Amino acid sequence: MQTPMCWSCGAPVEAAASFCAACQAVQPPGQLDHFARLGLGRGYTVDLAALDRAYFALQRRLHPDRFVRKQPRERAISQQQAAALNEAYETLKHPIRRARYLAELMDVDLPGDGRTIDDPQLLMEAMEAREALAEAGTVAEVQALERRSRDESDAAIAALRELFTRADQAGIRRAILRLAYLDKFVEEARARRLNLGSAGP
Amino acid sequence: MAYSDKVVDHYENPRNVGSLDKNAEDVGTGLVGAPACGDVMKLQIKVGVDGVIEDAKFKTFGCGSAIASSSLVTEWVKGKTVDEAETIKNTEIAKHLALPPVKIHCSVLAEDAIKAAIADYRAKAAKKQDEQPKAAE
Repeated sequence: MQTPMCWSCGAPVEAAASFCAACQAVQPPGQLDHFARLGLGRGYTVDLAALDRAYFALQRRLHPDRFVRKQPRERAISQQQAAALNEAYETLKHPIRRARYLAELMDVDLPGDGRTIDDPQLLMEAMEAREALAEAGTVAEVQALERRSRDESDAAIAALRELFTRADQAGIRRAILRLAYLDKFVEEARARRLNLGSAGP
Repeated sequence: MAYSDKVVDHYENPRNVGSLDKNAEDVGTGLVGAPACGDVMKLQIKVGVDGVIEDAKFKTFGCGSAIASSSLVTEWVKGKTVDEAETIKNTEIAKHLALPPVKIHCSVLAEDAIKAAIADYRAKAAKKQDEQPKAAE
């Protein structure tokens, strides 16, 4: 593999380096995965305090505000760097997005839009939950359903750690699909609760 | 993005909302869903002895296009034979409702739903036929 070179001075640059060691020019974001970009090990369990520290340390050095007096090319590169950094941070911070991202890195087959999933049990669970929500007539009833879904969501996220540790592809796939439905349910429940609340006496 | 008049019509006046007895021998149930948008869709058919679909019901939790697509399919399949109903294509649904490209997947889901309902009905019919000779002995 060819060693990348600094666009400004031509010196060789390490793949994960944001700056040229020779001339200090900011380097393009490159093809790092989100974990490598933040200097974290690849895995589902992430120390959120360490994630924050890594993000803010990099953000301080790469923020476009620091490049206002630099050449247009450096300004443009710093914007790419900041965008890549934000994307990496937001993805790893959110437990469901992190799971999806890591699953994609592991080539777990996740469906996109379109064709149905072949999991009658999960679909039945989702249908029954939405029916119960449609029938809930009071804010308290909706809150109880919402709480149950949040608890189930938390339990599914906790179970993901073990599934990722074992690299259980089928289990990971199923948990991520279930979390997508639970997430949607909580969103719908919140909307319904606000509706009932404002329509109440 | 604006919905077409036909989508709005089906969304505001959905046809055939409800449920049929999923345990009945002459009822086929298709339950499908796309987790990416959190949609879940149930489509049921009731088939007469002549193989003609007498009744169809649906229940969909999803966006307007998903509701309209499933509502339209229940309307279309009534009076058709199971074999005819099986030939319904998502492109016909999308064209009739003038779905924009980002909503084509809703019509795909509705096609999956009618196919799943027919498969369920056929599985029940095949099982019934398997059991008949034993009952005659």
